[in-house]
Amino acid sequence: MKVTIKSWTGVATWRWIANDENCGICRMSFESTCPECALPGDDCPLVWGVCSHCFHMHCIVKWLNLQPLNKQCPMCRQSWKFNVH
Amino acid sequence: MSAAKKYKPMDTTELHENTENIAACLKKAENVAPTAAAASSVGRSAFAAQNMNSASTNGERLPNFSKLGGSHGEIRTASTTSNLLNRMGAIHNSKPGDVKKIVIKNFKDKPTLPDNYSKDTYVKLEEAVIAIQLSKPIKYSLEELYQAVVNMCSHKMDAQLYAKLKELTEQHVKRNIKLKELTGGSMDKLILLEKINHWWLSFCQQMIMIRSIFLYMDRTYVLQNSTVHSIWDMGLDLFRIHFAQNSVVQKRTVDGLLTLIEKERQGSTVDRGLLKSLVRMLCDLQIYTSSFEEKFLDATNQLYKAESQRKMQELEVPEYLQHVNKRLAEENERLRHYLDSSTKHPLIYNVEKELLAEHLTSILQKGLDSLLEDNRLSDLTLLYGLLSRVKNGTSELCGNFNGFIKKKGRTIVIDPEKDKSMVQDLLDFKDKMDVIVRTCFEHNEKFTNSLREAFEFFINQRANKPAELIAKYVDMKLRSGNKGTTDEELEKTLDKIMVLFRFIHGKDVFEAFYKKDLAKRLLVGKSASVDSEKSMLSKLKQECGGGFTSKLEGMFKDMELSRDINIAFRGHALSNNRDVHNLDLCVSILTMGYWPTYAPTEVTMPPQFINPQQIFNKFYLEKHSGRKLQWQPTLGNCMLRAQFDAGPKELLVSLFQALVLLLFNDKPVLSYEEILAATLIEDGELRRTLQSLACGRARVITKTPKGREILDGDQFDFNNEFTNKLFRIKINQIQMKETNEEQKATEERVFQDRQYQIDAAIVRIMKMRKTLSHNLLITELFNQLTFPVKPADLKKRIESLIDRDYMERDKDNQNQYNYVA
Repeated sequence: MKVTIKSWTGVATWRWIANDENCGICRMSFESTCPECALPGDDCPLVWGVCSHCFHMHCIVKWLNLQPLNKQCPMCRQSWKFNVH
Repeated sequence: MSAAKKYKPMDTTELHENTENIAACLKKAENVAPTAAAASSVGRSAFAAQNMNSASTNGERLPNFSKLGGSHGEIRTASTTSNLLNRMGAIHNSKPGDVKKIVIKNFKDKPTLPDNYSKDTYVKLEEAVIAIQLSKPIKYSLEELYQAVVNMCSHKMDAQLYAKLKELTEQHVKRNIKLKELTGGSMDKLILLEKINHWWLSFCQQMIMIRSIFLYMDRTYVLQNSTVHSIWDMGLDLFRIHFAQNSVVQKRTVDGLLTLIEKERQGSTVDRGLLKSLVRMLCDLQIYTSSFEEKFLDATNQLYKAESQRKMQELEVPEYLQHVNKRLAEENERLRHYLDSSTKHPLIYNVEKELLAEHLTSILQKGLDSLLEDNRLSDLTLLYGLLSRVKNGTSELCGNFNGFIKKKGRTIVIDPEKDKSMVQDLLDFKDKMDVIVRTCFEHNEKFTNSLREAFEFFINQRANKPAELIAKYVDMKLRSGNKGTTDEELEKTLDKIMVLFRFIHGKDVFEAFYKKDLAKRLLVGKSASVDSEKSMLSKLKQECGGGFTSKLEGMFKDMELSRDINIAFRGHALSNNRDVHNLDLCVSILTMGYWPTYAPTEVTMPPQFINPQQIFNKFYLEKHSGRKLQWQPTLGNCMLRAQFDAGPKELLVSLFQALVLLLFNDKPVLSYEEILAATLIEDGELRRTLQSLACGRARVITKTPKGREILDGDQFDFNNEFTNKLFRIKINQIQMKETNEEQKATEERVFQDRQYQIDAAIVRIMKMRKTLSHNLLITELFNQLTFPVKPADLKKRIESLIDRDYMERDKDNQNQYNYVA
């Protein structure tokens, strides 16, 4: 072996596993947190519904609290249920 | 004894009053004419006072009586003596033992002057006045004359006496005015002026003397009659009337004065005392303004009008300004020496007008730019001082200063060939102009604001580039290896940079380039000082608010989090005893959206990279569920150990360079096509990579055929004979073309981001207006948006918003839009 690797400084970007780039409620990028949070990551996670739509957890919780009776997904208006798998 | 006692109190009172009057006369004389003539007059008055004191001391009354009127005085004395003798006789005749009181009765009638007294006194006083006017000796003593005046006034003859005096004075003035020598045409001007001056001074001296003699009349008759002038004023009045009426003499006097002044202005030495005396004469006669000042100002205007024309032709602006300054000083000197103070304002105003205001535009156009360019601080200070004296002077200077900055600044900004030094040139230019405003323009706020406005104007004449270059300049300063600069100097430089940044409209362009450079500094470990980075960030935050810097702050946060993750990963790797022992892996985890957008790149990596990468992925994703990692090969770098014939070397290379070099472990000679197939590095990227390895300073691989370009069909082999004095060698990736592409990509990204700002502005306007026509909407958008924008782009955004139902076209009017709630 003429050439061997001694060290490697790599660069990787992380993003949420989601089928979209922006939160449908606050319209911010998923990696940009909901309007109230300062730092992205585990402090401002995403949650999915069974309908496969995805939002900032804080956004969807606020949305659901605003609906007195039927809690619907804001995108498809199906009854909202958290996907917990 | 009783008789003597009766007379004494009255005499004492009169003497006291006379003394007071003389003292008042002395003060008056001093106030009226403080000249040499006045000094002589004061001396003579003092002598007169001394005479009075002497008389008082002697107590002799007999000589006075004898001088006033011989026969009548004698008669009165004889009468008094006779009465006394009669009373003594009466006493003598009384019987012994019978004592009577002696009774002295007052005069039944007031004593009257002899009939010829007034006539004689008139003659005497007239002779005295004429003698004074002719500068001849006076036969009578001054005290005697004074007393004569008192007697005349006491007996109601003051009006006639005043009229007589006035008549004599007028005759005297007339006689002098009509002297042939004053009206003769052949006399030299200077001699004429001297004669008039002599005559005037003599006249004043004479009037002071005469007034001293007639002081009692001035204090009684004149004060009791409001229509009568004082003796001094009467004399001036007569002099003025006849002097002014004789236009020949007056004209010649004024012309003579003007001629002398003109000579002095041309540099000759003239008799300033003479000028002063004659000017004062004109003032005292109250014809200064009407007869002299007007002509003087006219002559001044003409002189300086012609001179300024000539000097503006002959001299450069700095010399001209010094000339103006000298002329103003000279005129002020003239005012101080012999002109009346009332002339100060119109004279200086006229000089300023003719020398400066009339040539304001010429001075500024001709000289300002070169003074500013050459940094002539003293000349600029003089220019500001002089122009402050004229109306609109500083405004015009400020306007031209603004114009210069815009013109000069534009040459710095517009020329692409000067891009390398643009920012430094701008900083130097700003420093220079700041010094000029502070030092030469007295911190004038108008100039400070004008400087700011001009900078903001010209720096935005070229879109995007200044912002980009400022970002690069900051990068250069914040990068490590920037030696010779202390933290304090760096801080000062950053503050100055912020001033330029404040002027830029396209701050988003700056942010984009700054972010890209910041990313490089952080990822490659090129940052010189974390404190400086944070300091710069806080300046930007202070300037533009938290929204502008939130992503930049996020970048720093990511680096901190990455350090924590790598510490945890190293512990995790050790505890699991995996084969990562052989490779020191360190990963920077970036949050998508904070960092510049990196295009996804797929390259083929050997197992030496894939295995630890997978281990890290598993570690990270176990720790953070719901995430995925996108590796960025273009950003990585490696430390390689390579064996050469001369010995081993450590090579610091990019990831792409490492991928290429590792291929030579399997096969000593490789063609370009083989390397491309083995690595799948994008063609342009690969050519630059090979170029840096085979054609750079450190040639660890050899290219056949030789040359600087990487062409299809080229062959490469490992350079076993490679030598270098250093053990650790850094091989730089070739960046030039990449920089150009990055620049265009960054600009494109900024353009994309601006679409959102345009959309937001359109929605904002429509939400306010509800209904608006197309043209008005376009106009309003141009007003609100700070970056340059094309109408076609605006049109596209409007169509896009209509498609997305933010607004709609009016059904009836195609040119009108309605906001949709």
